Amino acid sequence: MNIDLVGTVIALLTFFGISALMALSLNLEYGVAGVPNFGQVLFVSIGAYTAGITYTRLLPLLAGQPFLEPCGSSLAQAVQMRTGIMQTMPGVGLINFVVTLLISALVGGAVGYGISYIMLRLKQEWFLALVLLVGGEILRIVVQGYAPIECASSGLSGIAQPFSFIGDARTASIAFMVLILIIAGLAFLYSERLVRSPYGRLLKAVRENDPVARSLGKNVTRVRAQVMLIGSIMAAVAGVLFALNEGFVSTNDYVVGLTLEVWVMVVLGGLGNSRGALLGAFLITILNRVTAVVAIQLNMLGTDLEFNYFRYILLGVILLLMLLYRPKGLLPERAQSTDAHEQMGR
Amino acid sequence: MTMLQAVNVIKDFDGLRALDGVSIDVAQGAIIGLIGPNGSGKSTLLNVIARTTEITSGKIMFDGHDLTRASADVAFQHGLARGYQDPSLFFQMTVLDNALLPIKEQRGEHPWYAPWRRFWTQQEGGNASNAAEVLKRVKLDQHFNKPASDLSGGQMKLLEMGRSLMGAPKMLLLDEPTAGVAPALAYEIFEQIAALRRETGMTFLIVEHRLEILFDFVDSLYVLHMGKVLAQGTPDEISRNSEVREVYFGD
Repeated sequence: MNIDLVGTVIALLTFFGISALMALSLNLEYGVAGVPNFGQVLFVSIGAYTAGITYTRLLPLLAGQPFLEPCGSSLAQAVQMRTGIMQTMPGVGLINFVVTLLISALVGGAVGYGISYIMLRLKQEWFLALVLLVGGEILRIVVQGYAPIECASSGLSGIAQPFSFIGDARTASIAFMVLILIIAGLAFLYSERLVRSPYGRLLKAVRENDPVARSLGKNVTRVRAQVMLIGSIMAAVAGVLFALNEGFVSTNDYVVGLTLEVWVMVVLGGLGNSRGALLGAFLITILNRVTAVVAIQLNMLGTDLEFNYFRYILLGVILLLMLLYRPKGLLPERAQSTDAHEQMGR
Repeated sequence: MTMLQAVNVIKDFDGLRALDGVSIDVAQGAIIGLIGPNGSGKSTLLNVIARTTEITSGKIMFDGHDLTRASADVAFQHGLARGYQDPSLFFQMTVLDNALLPIKEQRGEHPWYAPWRRFWTQQEGGNASNAAEVLKRVKLDQHFNKPASDLSGGQMKLLEMGRSLMGAPKMLLLDEPTAGVAPALAYEIFEQIAALRRETGMTFLIVEHRLEILFDFVDSLYVLHMGKVLAQGTPDEISRNSEVREVYFGD
């Protein structure tokens, strides 16, 4: 049993950064503002599919190369072209990356804002949860069935991360990991500051009793839609990073299970606490990596046991135990909003 | 000058007519009582005026604004605040946060400005000292840092009233402000109401079951019965009204 320790740590931190973005997004939406988003994977997959589209259409355009049909007979050629551009033209690769992030944020944000604004005008916010849950699955089925988007079930490969021009693969993956951690760090700072502001107070009030918040002059529908806009942008960005880290876009990755994993992270860490979201993301990332490694080792030993499935059993057990014994999570949220409390205490 | 005017208000709940052409008029700076037997439509009228319940037909005018189709947040923005019968605080939030929430036009209540403290920290400081004064008024200033769930029933009522005041309303609708409160504190709540009217000229419309206290403080009363206004007048007139005595006191 030989494990590449440095490689494992890089992979772990990369996954942690991406999971943290997803967890921060859901924590803001549900943990702080009480909007039950059961369609986290919808927004993540919007980011990933956007990356698939820009890497096959925009990238050749930016590099001044002819468009090659990404699927079918020219598939291998197209993959080779994408990989070639990413390795030899760092400027084009980086521009394409930034544009991908912007487009995915725009599309993800617009979908989140639009759907929630319509749904939250209805009486029950749980309608929104259902629409988003089903929406993610519908998008997956459409993308899987309609070849021109991501080559249907075969998916797209050659979606290289923006630092793949660096010759040394390890240095490139470290650079990408650092970038992901910086993005996750910014998202953390933003959520943390948001929660400790008058806006955070407003979100908690909406979460706890929206009719009363409304009768105290707050436009509850608009506030919830704003939160969905912010959360959806975070999730879509996470989706782009997820796809680039994998190196391919496949609809098999964007199933309801991903949404549930993010929910477990947030419930485990502590609803409403951004630090809790980070902790939850970290613990679940470790759990995922450990179960994956155990599964591989067991396979190599020749057992028939598919240990990967145990991950989902474990996630379910964690969720149940937390809800039973520690519903506020490992790091409960703080009751005070702004530092007006500290000033008044003096 | 009229502050609130409800004209011919009708409210149907699935075929049941809860309000059947109710018209009331509240002058600026008045304290008006709203009484009637259980199920007479008092709370429904309050909810319709506060815009937390849709109106079937009729008209609500408040301070020159037509609120008939407005939502509750718009009514509050125009200066019409309400209290609830059951304490409806934000129990997971601190006493201070409960008081700070209703303040209008908070610069930090916007997702783009909120992360930058310099945009709002000065305003928040000023708001917090205003909140401290109101909390002192309702004797809760020592408890500002506690979650609202830690307060006693009477304190919750007081905090709810203090919270309504933070939005600087022109008029306050109160639904049984003394429900579940000890008699001594109940009297104190009404003294606060009278003091507020004296100091700020605020207008009140109050649903209350404790008539012995209510009659001491109100200028006049509306009596509702089966969704209609049965009588209107000063406490003296109402207590002498034989029709009212019949439906309300049962003699």
